[in-house]
Amino acid sequence: MRQSWIIAMRELRERVLNKSFLLMLFVGPFLVLTLAYFLVKANDQGKKELTVLIADPGNIMEGVISSKDNASVNYYFVDGYLELDEFKLGKDYQRFDVLIEINEKVLNNKKVFVFYRDFLSSDVKNVIKFNMERRMEEVLVHEFTSLSVDKFREIKQPLNMDFRNLDDPMGIESKTEGWAGLFFGFIIFLFILMFGMSILRGVTREKSNRIVEVLVSVVKPRHLMIGKMLGIALSAIFQLFIWFGVIGAGLWVFQNYIFTEFFISDEYINMQLNEGTDILYGQFGGLHQNEMIDLIYERLNLLVILPVFFIIFIMAYFFYGAFFSLIAAGTGSESDGQQFSIPIIALLLFSLYAGYFSVIYPESDFSNICQFVPFTSPVVLMVKVCQGYPIGSGYLLVVSLLILFLSTLFMLYIASRIFRGGILEYGHTLSFRKIFNWFKAE
Amino acid sequence: MIELCEVSKSYQRHLALNNVSTHIPSGEITGLLGPNGAGKTTLIRIINQMIRPNTGHLKYNGDLLNQAHLKRMGYLPEERGLYKSMTVGDQLLFFCRLRGMSRVDSNKQINYWLDKFEVTNWKHQKIDSLSKGMAQKVQFIAALVHDPEFIIMDEPMSGFDPINVDLIMTELTELKNKGKTILLSTHNMQSVQDTCSHILLLDKGVKLADSTFSDLQQNYQSKEFIVRYRGTKIAFANSLWTDFELVHQEEVKEDLFEAIIAQRGVRSVDDLISNIKGHVSIEFISRKSLNMQEIFLDLVNNVNQNL
Repeated sequence: MRQSWIIAMRELRERVLNKSFLLMLFVGPFLVLTLAYFLVKANDQGKKELTVLIADPGNIMEGVISSKDNASVNYYFVDGYLELDEFKLGKDYQRFDVLIEINEKVLNNKKVFVFYRDFLSSDVKNVIKFNMERRMEEVLVHEFTSLSVDKFREIKQPLNMDFRNLDDPMGIESKTEGWAGLFFGFIIFLFILMFGMSILRGVTREKSNRIVEVLVSVVKPRHLMIGKMLGIALSAIFQLFIWFGVIGAGLWVFQNYIFTEFFISDEYINMQLNEGTDILYGQFGGLHQNEMIDLIYERLNLLVILPVFFIIFIMAYFFYGAFFSLIAAGTGSESDGQQFSIPIIALLLFSLYAGYFSVIYPESDFSNICQFVPFTSPVVLMVKVCQGYPIGSGYLLVVSLLILFLSTLFMLYIASRIFRGGILEYGHTLSFRKIFNWFKAE
Repeated sequence: MIELCEVSKSYQRHLALNNVSTHIPSGEITGLLGPNGAGKTTLIRIINQMIRPNTGHLKYNGDLLNQAHLKRMGYLPEERGLYKSMTVGDQLLFFCRLRGMSRVDSNKQINYWLDKFEVTNWKHQKIDSLSKGMAQKVQFIAALVHDPEFIIMDEPMSGFDPINVDLIMTELTELKNKGKTILLSTHNMQSVQDTCSHILLLDKGVKLADSTFSDLQQNYQSKEFIVRYRGTKIAFANSLWTDFELVHQEEVKEDLFEAIIAQRGVRSVDDLISNIKGHVSIEFISRKSLNMQEIFLDLVNNVNQNL
């Protein structure tokens, strides 16, 4: 194994010092971050900072509304009636984006009209609604009860209602998590394709420039194959770590500097609610309405998903890498190798389709079978892991991983036998008969 | 040093080596000869353990050949290959490390060999910036840098200019003098004749010859004779009758001629003497000694004629 490690280190060094590798090391995650940025923005179309004018002729709100920590919405009061045309066309009102009309009967009819100039996103609507409700709650408590607002809020407990599909009572059929799983599966697919082709090119190039003649005279073909695959795997893992590092840092920047309005701060919670009040997540739904933010920062259990992702990624890489290795060793030319890699790429694409199918129909027989088939399980498993396994079904993940692990070992064994036979043959056309002969050769 | 015992190897329906047994003596240069397709590369690959024989076995200093012996071997393949994007120093270090050497020892050896070949300034150059000849030299060093005791050279002179061929030959002789065992596979018969003390000749997977060069010369006699005589050319030609044939004749001094005579059928020097005696005055007569090229052609052609 020492020789395999030396070969792996050489391979890693060659790849890591390659200019295109260094370029993709940072361009890739920046592309992902850019994509994530636009996805979040697409979920949050509308004006960022709003100036809201509250027309309150009855002075019901007494010119008070808690909004100082929410910089995106600024409230101003006017204590008289305001005609819509005046607000729409009046020079003094052009700086206001929204007009909230509080009628004098609001305490009874609970009806408030909100007029806007430009379309408001659901997030902004929720923020305004939340702020208004909080203030009206204070007024109502004061007007109709002898309780203090603090006491009222202590008594008032929000009911967290979880709506579930009758056919999916465990709530595992969450499409969004599934799509995130498919994204992880796609990363596996992408890296296997990229680095599998690297194995193919690397081995065929070494065959064509005959350096294998020297290498195989020093190391066993099996060790050469493992070393080469390991080196390329290390470069892939290195790239993945950099990708996840840069993406993670980017998401942190998003959270703290770019999409701050989507995140609720502790101070804000304390300001809005009295101390000691239990807070349930659903109560602040209005502040977490961005689906992408919610998915990335809240719903995906990345502490579980990422380790599982790396385990699946490594096994899947070696499983598919074994195919690329044996094809590369067996072919007489690089173009021949590319032809024979088409079925492997087709299988990879099929695994992506199986993953997509699992997002749409997570409990289908097809999806359940594909999670055990090593060709499709890497992508399907990522989808299922992100969707979450129902309680008591976690063993399915263990079984799937075990099958994938054993299949990988088996494929490495097959590939090493064929690699040994084919690596020193040049200029021939690869055929299944040749592959079979190399496999059965002593 | 290396002993092959009834080694056979076939590729599907093609028999590449047929029951070959031989001994590669320690501290000598053994010439591995044969026409294309004779089985030389297969034999080298079996010794290198790149492939396994179907039958037979090999011994290295009396022990069954195993993976550990590879570290004591150096190999220069006919098909040369180096990592083009690596520097000369890194490339040599890589091969040393694969052979199990420490980094410190490797660097010492690399510096020694680069210095010996006066190419120290190449150490930090990438292979793809070197000419073909320069890369060949690096490959040659790569085969020796780990100080192997058994060296396999497959066409080491190919791609070199005459000056470097001379350098390689001198180096091989020097290595032999240091007690290294060398297996030299080449089509350059002159180099075999000059350097090899032992010859192994293969054709179509079969061993045709396995002995020292002098033994080969004794065993495979020429069918031609060299005769120096005084007299007339006509008298000399007439004396040959139908038993011999005049191949070439020239006057080397005044009234002194040298002729090359080919025998027809099986004839001895005595037969030739008795034929020409009395017709001309014989100054010198000898059977012409065969060079390696002629022995090679003679052996291979004889086999092909008998098939």
